Amino acid sequence: MPDLPELNPVVHGRLRLALLSLLSAVEVAEFTWLRAKTDATDGNLGAQLLKLEEAGYVTVEKKFVRRKPQSLYRITEAGRRALTEYVQALRQLLGPSIGAQS
Amino acid sequence: MPDHTEQELKERLSLIESMIAEGRRNTESWGWTFVLWGVALYAAFAWSALKQSPWAWPVTALLALAATILIASAKRGGYRATTLGRAIGSIWIALAITMFALFGGLGVSGRFNDPHVFAAALCAILGLANGASGLILRWKAQVACAAMWWLAAVAACFGTDDQSMIALLAAIFLGQIVFGIYGMIAEARARKRRIPIHA
Repeated sequence: MPDLPELNPVVHGRLRLALLSLLSAVEVAEFTWLRAKTDATDGNLGAQLLKLEEAGYVTVEKKFVRRKPQSLYRITEAGRRALTEYVQALRQLLGPSIGAQS
Repeated sequence: MPDHTEQELKERLSLIESMIAEGRRNTESWGWTFVLWGVALYAAFAWSALKQSPWAWPVTALLALAATILIASAKRGGYRATTLGRAIGSIWIALAITMFALFGGLGVSGRFNDPHVFAAALCAILGLANGASGLILRWKAQVACAAMWWLAAVAACFGTDDQSMIALLAAIFLGQIVFGIYGMIAEARARKRRIPIHA
């Protein structure tokens, strides 16, 4: 019997997973766009993005546009790889029951 | 899977799919612009018909443009970039420039006299933009909207002046007002379907 894969704990958190998935579909996203899509609070969103940044899964570019601060987030190659591996692990764990998903 | 329930893992997969779809969505929150410009076109028609003012079209178009920019910046909810989004945005920006250049030039030069030409050109340009956008997005409803504009462009070439204007007014109703409301309803449904996220 093959070993069951471990799920990456950094990716597994719901909000972090949502953020990585969102960022995997775009080139770059503003903090406010991520907040609108996840309905997260500023504090929670900032904390989860920081964890992803510390893991090397996202990069942030901070600048001022018309004197307002703007934070732009991008997924890194490592982040994309981690998300792909996480999905593969999920599929492996779910096995045959995956087809029954609604 | 000792540490995770099957339900939890399935929810994670659904969340990933839902968020990737959300990131790729390029039609969000733009239904209102169709309605706004449809109303603006009707307002310009009514103004120019009732008052015979040469300012009706340029003033209405500039007011609608200002309203679009103001509402879009208020609604934006943050910025994100995708290649597809840039492609669709480029089509509509090019459409706006084409309209202002062509109809502005014709208006100023005084060669804006044949209602058939005006109606056919307006419908054909809107058909082009909707067609390109619908084909890129593979959005059948928008391709159908484009086909309606193209039909209206052909219809506007024939019949009396009044008949060509009626064809244009009907096309504006279907292609701007009805399609815009359809887009807004589709957006509201997509928002409702979004999976809630709890950290």
